[in-house]
Amino acid sequence: MVELALPKNSVLTDGKNWDDTSGSSNIKNFKVYRWNPDDGKNPRMDSYQVDMDSCGPMVLDAIIKIKSEIDPTLTFRRSCREGICGSCAMNIDGSNTLACTKAIADVKGDVKIYPLPHLQVIKDLVPDLTNFYAQHASIEPWLKTTTVEPEKEWLQSPEERSKLDGLYECILCACCATSCPSYWWNGDRYLGPAILLQSYRWLIDSRDEATGERLDDLEDPFRLYRCHTIMNCAKACPKGLSPAKAIASIKEMMVERRY
Amino acid sequence: MSSNGSDMRTPLGKVRGLGSAKDGTSHFWQQRLTGLANLPLSLFFMYSIYSMAGKSYQEAMAFIASPLVSVMLILFIASSVYHMKLGMQVVLEDYIHGEKMKILLLILNAFFATFIGIACIFSILKISFGA
Amino acid sequence: MANLNLDAYDIVEHEYDVVVVGAGGAGLRATLGSAQAGLRTACISKVFPTRSHTVAAQGGVAASLGNMSPDNWKWHMYDTVKGSDWLGDQDAIEYLCRNAPKAVYELEHFGVPFSRTEEGKIYQRPFGGMMQNFGEGPEAQRTCAAADRTGHAMLHTLYGQSLRYDAEFFIEYFAIDLIMEKGECKGVVCINMDDGKIHVFRSHIAIMATGGYGRTFFSCTSAHTCTGDGNAMVLRAGIGLQDMEFVQFHPTGIYGAGCLITEGSRGEGGILINSEGERFMERYAPSAKDLASRDVVSRAMTIEIREGRGVGPDKDHIYLHLDHLDPALLAERLPGISESAKVFAGVDVNKQPIPVLPTVHYNMGGIPTNYHGEVIDPTADDTNATVPGLMAIGEAACVSVHGANRLGSNSLIDLVVFGRAAGLRAGELLKPNQPHAPLTENGQELAIERLDHARYKKGSQTTAGMRLKMQKVMQSNCAVFRDGDILKEGVTMINDIWQQSNDIEVTDKSLVWNSDLLECLEFDNLISQAVVTMEGAENRKESRGGHAREDYPDRDDKDWMKHTLAKVDFDKKKANLTYRPVHDFTMTEEIDYIKPKKRVY
Repeated sequence: MVELALPKNSVLTDGKNWDDTSGSSNIKNFKVYRWNPDDGKNPRMDSYQVDMDSCGPMVLDAIIKIKSEIDPTLTFRRSCREGICGSCAMNIDGSNTLACTKAIADVKGDVKIYPLPHLQVIKDLVPDLTNFYAQHASIEPWLKTTTVEPEKEWLQSPEERSKLDGLYECILCACCATSCPSYWWNGDRYLGPAILLQSYRWLIDSRDEATGERLDDLEDPFRLYRCHTIMNCAKACPKGLSPAKAIASIKEMMVERRY
Repeated sequence: MSSNGSDMRTPLGKVRGLGSAKDGTSHFWQQRLTGLANLPLSLFFMYSIYSMAGKSYQEAMAFIASPLVSVMLILFIASSVYHMKLGMQVVLEDYIHGEKMKILLLILNAFFATFIGIACIFSILKISFGA
Repeated sequence: MANLNLDAYDIVEHEYDVVVVGAGGAGLRATLGSAQAGLRTACISKVFPTRSHTVAAQGGVAASLGNMSPDNWKWHMYDTVKGSDWLGDQDAIEYLCRNAPKAVYELEHFGVPFSRTEEGKIYQRPFGGMMQNFGEGPEAQRTCAAADRTGHAMLHTLYGQSLRYDAEFFIEYFAIDLIMEKGECKGVVCINMDDGKIHVFRSHIAIMATGGYGRTFFSCTSAHTCTGDGNAMVLRAGIGLQDMEFVQFHPTGIYGAGCLITEGSRGEGGILINSEGERFMERYAPSAKDLASRDVVSRAMTIEIREGRGVGPDKDHIYLHLDHLDPALLAERLPGISESAKVFAGVDVNKQPIPVLPTVHYNMGGIPTNYHGEVIDPTADDTNATVPGLMAIGEAACVSVHGANRLGSNSLIDLVVFGRAAGLRAGELLKPNQPHAPLTENGQELAIERLDHARYKKGSQTTAGMRLKMQKVMQSNCAVFRDGDILKEGVTMINDIWQQSNDIEVTDKSLVWNSDLLECLEFDNLISQAVVTMEGAENRKESRGGHAREDYPDRDDKDWMKHTLAKVDFDKKKANLTYRPVHDFTMTEEIDYIKPKKRVY
């Protein structure tokens, strides 16, 4: 079960049932977390009956259809609809993923949709990612060099470049971070899987000359060592990356530079 | 983007907090090291329990008092108690969020582990050097 | 003004030297450029920067580095002029192509994880319309790539870089309107999506980097957020948009889903096949074949489908084959589209072809600018007169380097070259921290009124319903091939929808993250652009680049070698079209104006 961060002094209640009006025989039920800070009410689970015959294959298609045709107040982030922008990360059928690449057919029974767990919710399916983004900024995610820049490119062999594969593809959707129990308990101090994967992307870039300083900044019982290899991150990543592996590699570097 | 509560620091200020402790690797490394050492040491410990099973008090004392067994048991106590201390520290850091309570429990954890460890080692030494 | 209750809104005021609207590739490059120049800079975006649509660009960024084949910026310029079907302004194209290598090296120094050659240099792949020796061939390997995720790699890197500088970001702020006074731009009015507060940003220069308006069409590769908000704000400010009839259809959008499959897939050897198993591009473009310019390939595919040689049960699409390529090459250079094909078409690219269809992809038209990024509003005696305080860059702008048709991988280079140019120009024009004169007109009230009106108006239609009607009309009446009668019908239909747009009611009345309201404002932005696109297409009686008229199949340089400039009278809801000459000169004497000739690939 996902651990939601409910608004203060509130309980999750049953919401409105939006019954099908199309008369279609191919109906799927979508149970969606709803909360509007403006109305002072408890969060609730609204239930929408959606006609699958006139709906695209992905969960995002369904929630856009709900917003377009059933309930325009349903609020969620979305942009590219092809799994590259990372906007529509949410908790669907018990796991964190992108609504745009999650096929409705892969969900048995009702489709339950919650916002990403353990984040403050701004409204409905829109979580507050301020802390996550600040953590990303804190690792100084840019190439650091001291050597005078060459007129052309820094040289990098294909082998060195291939070390960035599995890292640079991260879309900062926060699916992994918000599936990590350690991040749930200590998200204020633990950088979490996504940001540590981003850190490793710069640590392992053969062009970067600040590896030592970067390691210095990470070496901390909380920033780095809250990872207990629970592996939820790798399971959640909608891009198939393994933050856990990246974190293990950072720990390896930490040990390596000591001995 | 939201940022709520009475904490008015910038998001980056909050995240940077008190900065990196520049520590943690020794903890990580020692936890692995003691974990590794615990494998053969606990096998030896189980072997020694097995050897003493059904033996008389005197025989058991003599067994423990033999130099190799004493050394191995002391190593086992030291390694596993330290491993326990390190592990408990992780659990406390994970789950206890009140700063004062956390420090208190970490101190108690250190005291407890030290006491248990010294007491056990003292007992073995006492047997070993002849009580 | 009568019913506007200004007190109902909390208003927060800001003063900056430069305000950039949009945080895609161009917006971020301009933001960090003007921050580097010591200017107090704000960047406003309705999405977190790495969610901007630049992230979806795949194939690469064009620059004549010559890492993998002989190359020269002049060849790149020739190809771009030819690609533009001679509608591009050649001074701007020269600026683009000369500065492209420097811009790519800069990106590399920022940290973009480009794929590499054995010598450790940036990997470059062939792309449509990119040739050596002034179009003579052979093909040039000019498109610098980070596998097939170049836009993603660039955007994330640019975002990281921008964190180094003292630029302030206002994320999930939606720009409502510009503040204009006496023909000058004085700032931007925004709403903070988080709490509904109005933020008034005073600026000495406002830079529109708001991207294209692909979402006017039903089927597009563009993100949901591609609503051309900057274009529409400029239209409302009384400034014309240029060449809006030129809409690029990408040959390979996934059939049904519309998601992009990069042209780089054909650059790496992919081929298009019709129902008869024929590689039909050999007939349409004997030398460039599948790597002809996008407009040419899209038209060829449309003709094949029309003549009954489409594939699938309804014979309404085409197959893109990659299954003859080495699986290792696919895994290394095209991993992203392999995944997309799997997810959105259920296809294993190693074994099966991808079903594809020409899909709306890019807007060549937009806010007219010179190559410094300054917005142009022609006067009677100066066709290049600039609007003080206003700039535009990226897909929102029409510099015009892409003319009637953009070459693949020229958009990413456009972003960084002109993003950089805008930052440099702002540095030249402004001294940091100059005071702002008080506003004398009611610009900010007008913007709030627009918001208030949308929020409270009564009507019988939903935003989504109206948007769908608009998208269907654009899709059916302003497609790859266009015809006079269909366009005339389209003009009537799209104007009808525009007239009805007052009948929308917004259901969500809250001020926190009111996406219902914002989508309504976005629709309002889209519909005015849809109208000028359709009107421009009906008006331009020739075929050029992305604008193919069946009733006027040839390019007509005598009558139509000119930019369309569309303004809108919002009170009467009427578009007015005028023209602006195409620049028939280059930037320096190092290269002569490239004279028009027949465009054959």
